[in-house]
Amino acid sequence: MFENLDIFRLTSGLARHSTARQELVAKNVANADTPGYRARDTQPFSEAFRASEGGTDLRTTRAGHITNTGSNSPLVETIDSPDPSSPNGNTVALETEMMKAADTRHQHELALSVYKSSMSILRSSIGKR
Amino acid sequence: MADLTQILSLSASGMKAQANRLRHVSENIANADTPGYHRKTVSFEAEFQNGTKTGGVDTGPVELDRTALSRIFDPGHPMADEQGFYDGSNVDLMYEVADAREAQRSYEANLKMFDQARQMSSSLLELLRR
Repeated sequence: MFENLDIFRLTSGLARHSTARQELVAKNVANADTPGYRARDTQPFSEAFRASEGGTDLRTTRAGHITNTGSNSPLVETIDSPDPSSPNGNTVALETEMMKAADTRHQHELALSVYKSSMSILRSSIGKR
Repeated sequence: MADLTQILSLSASGMKAQANRLRHVSENIANADTPGYHRKTVSFEAEFQNGTKTGGVDTGPVELDRTALSRIFDPGHPMADEQGFYDGSNVDLMYEVADAREAQRSYEANLKMFDQARQMSSSLLELLRR
């Protein structure tokens, strides 16, 4: 049911995306001293969401039309982040990773807050408090 | 939620590897004046579990630094040869301190990631509470 409401789809997508990104950041930080390791990152959420939103989805104008029943949560794609490499071939910069972590944390918090307040609006609309 | 626990184990593997490195650095510093001591180095490599990469990090086998030992002039030393020299260690304290500082910095970064993942999962659980 919640998946049908756009706002819940959006917020849970953002929460999922930020968790996946945080995982990549943790991986980068853990491998900050591994020779030859290349730092990775996800694509920005706006792009991931747009990709899942339009394009592949089928448009419906009537209730009987076929819809895309597959999961339409934003895809998480990993890309190489463009930091210069150190002599041992490692491209992790701890400062960049820390900034990414703080940013991701903020996004996650944002998603959860919006989710929570939409939930309370929904709850008051059905007459409960 | 499973992703968040995955983050915890990744950060823990990073902390464990850095702690292991710091342990070898302190061994080197403790033995800086031991005659004939070769400095130990550890390298980092990808962690494997049941043959698959976990994405975490692990320390490789310990290796000895093969550079020449320092020659120390002390005719009164029991191990001194005819010229009055004996073999010291090849530990350079400057390298060791720099290495220790780097290990500490990386350890803190991992700890920070661990803490963030913990906070994220606790705020996620907060949603269940009314």
